[in-house]
Amino acid sequence: MSPFEEFDGQTPTWCPGCGNWAIGAVVKRALANLRLSPSSVFVSFGIGCSGNMNDFLNAYAVHALHGRAIPVAIGFKLANHKMPVVAIVGDGDCYGEGGNHFLHALRGNHDITVIVHDNSVYGLTTGQSAPTSPKGFRSKSTPDGLIETPLNPLALAISQGGTFVSQAYASRVPQITELIQKAITHKGFSLVNVLQPCVTFNRTNTYDYYDSKVYDLPSSYIPHDQVSALKHAMNMTIKEEFPLGIVYESKRPAFHECLPQLGKQTLLERGQFEGIHEILEHFI
Amino acid sequence: MTTGLNFSKIAARSGFYIFDCFEYPSLIRGGHNTYETIISKDPVYATRNEVDLLVCLNKETFELHKNRLHTDSLVVFDEENFQIPDGDFHKLAIPMKKILREQKGSMVMMNNVALAASLSLLNWPYEEIEKIIIQSFKKKGQNVIDLNARISRMTYDYVTEQYEKHIVHDFLPTKNPEKKVVLTGNDAFSLAAIAADCRFYAAYPMTPASTVLTTMAGLAEKTGMVVRHAEDEISVINTALGASVAGVRSSVGTSGGGFALMTEAVSFAGIGEIPIVIFLSQRPGPATGLPTWTEQGDLLFAVNAGHGEFPKIILAPGDTEEMFALTMRAFDLADTYQTPVIILSDKHLSESTMSIPAITLKLSAKSNSPDRGKRISKAENYLRYAKSADGISPLLIPGAPHSFYQINSYEHEEDGHTTEDAQMRVEQVEKRNKKTQTYLQKDFKMPETHGNMADAEIIFVSWGSNKGAILEAQKVLASKLIKTAFIHFTHVFPMDEKKILPLFEAKKRYILVENNSHGQFGKLLREQTGVVLTEKILKYDGRQLYVEEIVEYVTV
Repeated sequence: MSPFEEFDGQTPTWCPGCGNWAIGAVVKRALANLRLSPSSVFVSFGIGCSGNMNDFLNAYAVHALHGRAIPVAIGFKLANHKMPVVAIVGDGDCYGEGGNHFLHALRGNHDITVIVHDNSVYGLTTGQSAPTSPKGFRSKSTPDGLIETPLNPLALAISQGGTFVSQAYASRVPQITELIQKAITHKGFSLVNVLQPCVTFNRTNTYDYYDSKVYDLPSSYIPHDQVSALKHAMNMTIKEEFPLGIVYESKRPAFHECLPQLGKQTLLERGQFEGIHEILEHFI
Repeated sequence: MTTGLNFSKIAARSGFYIFDCFEYPSLIRGGHNTYETIISKDPVYATRNEVDLLVCLNKETFELHKNRLHTDSLVVFDEENFQIPDGDFHKLAIPMKKILREQKGSMVMMNNVALAASLSLLNWPYEEIEKIIIQSFKKKGQNVIDLNARISRMTYDYVTEQYEKHIVHDFLPTKNPEKKVVLTGNDAFSLAAIAADCRFYAAYPMTPASTVLTTMAGLAEKTGMVVRHAEDEISVINTALGASVAGVRSSVGTSGGGFALMTEAVSFAGIGEIPIVIFLSQRPGPATGLPTWTEQGDLLFAVNAGHGEFPKIILAPGDTEEMFALTMRAFDLADTYQTPVIILSDKHLSESTMSIPAITLKLSAKSNSPDRGKRISKAENYLRYAKSADGISPLLIPGAPHSFYQINSYEHEEDGHTTEDAQMRVEQVEKRNKKTQTYLQKDFKMPETHGNMADAEIIFVSWGSNKGAILEAQKVLASKLIKTAFIHFTHVFPMDEKKILPLFEAKKRYILVENNSHGQFGKLLREQTGVVLTEKILKYDGRQLYVEEIVEYVTV
């Protein structure tokens, strides 16, 4: 069995033509390229079409609650910081139900990779509007058109302290693979927001739509300045243009690296604390 | 508050047992704060209504507590601050402000003046104050220590000279007394968690559980524990579950409102079969309620917390010593049954202080080697949710080579994959339910009984922090020749009907005692065992049950 095939779980149940097929294959490819195996990586899944990858990808994993994949991933990382930790989530999952966790994981620069399947719609519940749906989006929950403006995940991530902020597009497989590999290798919080058409429930954000709206960051672009990064991120809101690639990248110690109690040994590896008697003395 | 705790510590160091409680309004600072301590030569579990020594730093203190004075009570105050009328008690005016002014001390130091006056009146040596001052202020430098020591000395001497005839001689310190630790319920939970090898604690601040977070965080570097103050209680428990999945003992703490946010993940821990210890310290609700007061209003909420059906264990300690022992046990039970275990406390237990012989806790910690339950370090074709006779599947820690599995919030097959198959659903439901049966057979502990059940005319039935007031009330009633017994439940959920029923078969007057308005334990007892208790003492004014209220109910 090839390293790639070791990750093969059950056959996916995604709709034919769904971007998840590409992302699912890419995740396995990236993990295999990084010489990881199903025994050496931890994946936290949210609930949604993306989260259903839990059964299709072999790995130590938790299929968490809707919106809660990020805190589960953070907890796992803090207890075993030697294991790479990936969260596979959706846009409603991560930016809606779990929005607060996303914000604070960015602030903490927790060393996890968050791969968002951003299809701008709720697919598993058969078509309601999502946090990244465009204004005016007609869906089962917004039959007269969505009143809210779309959440800008890249701008949010850059402004809240993310240290690796990137965007990919489901039809550009080599680029997603590369970004996911770089994101997992990055020390600190990494975001890969994957623009992903939902062929069944989203008639707006289609392959044709994205084909005409995405752009590659220029080869001269250096992603180390938050203000320039924000300009590209804001193109999504202002011009409806979607940058692809690493929009922002910087070095800042990850949360676990700032804890003196976590070093060569993980929380899991170290021995039991023996000094309880000494602590009791303080209460006499 | 520190001053009150210092007084308690000095009392314990002098050979006495103490119990104290602390009342404060939900304000950032100020308002009417009181610290009440009872000292005794024998173990003591509750304060009393009668006050022997009342130290008033303002007039409100006198007004609010004057009805608790008796003919021998001593009332300490400062005439420069306010006058108090003559009454059937002894007034002891002390020029506190003058001493502070002359020594150029600040008004905050009034607390130490009060402490010095109290020690002087108890005929305890001045040196004890000095020790405490050095301990409290060593970070602030020698000048602060000297100033506080000087002010305390002057007050101490003033009282000794001016009020010699009022000095109490019944509570002289014993020489080389047994060492006692002075702990709140929250301290006891924190220390027991550390002793039990809990390595991960997450919380969001919420009274009255906040001091667990601050204590754990303060000790984290020393203990090697990771403590996360997360963005909300939802993140708190999910983070802790992530750490638990990784294989370390994990715990969270909160009060009712925070626990409400956690309930979704409690259910997840149930189906995912993830060990977790939840410290739930109750305060009066609903909603924001009375944030800094006490109530046992969340028992049935805890019992029913989480959507769907899954096993859960709830332990309710009655005092700090039980808190220590049951917390260590909770971690073993969570690992053994791979399910949520809740330690139910309340403000009164969480923030009141009790002295416990240090050796008791040291032995308890020493004899405890964590029981991590069924664990394996390698497996081929591992089945996380394998069926078993006792409902418990062996646990493989993620990272083990040549293996992998998922923990699933969906219903799952034995290997963790999602399923909607009817037969598999039934098998997994029954597997989880078996854990409850196993627990009842192997680990359910009967309630403690206090007093002679055969002789008693009255049998109190209660749980949690009411224990102290009931034990003290039993002493008072015994002195009035009323024979009582007391059934004190700690393993409150689930309960074993067959084992419990015999306790309620005698033709006695059973009285349910609870600190809530619905009689929640009574309802739970009825649901779990069929026992119906009709006579009830229920209190729900935000204050704990007082000894005198129980005595009065029985005697009047």
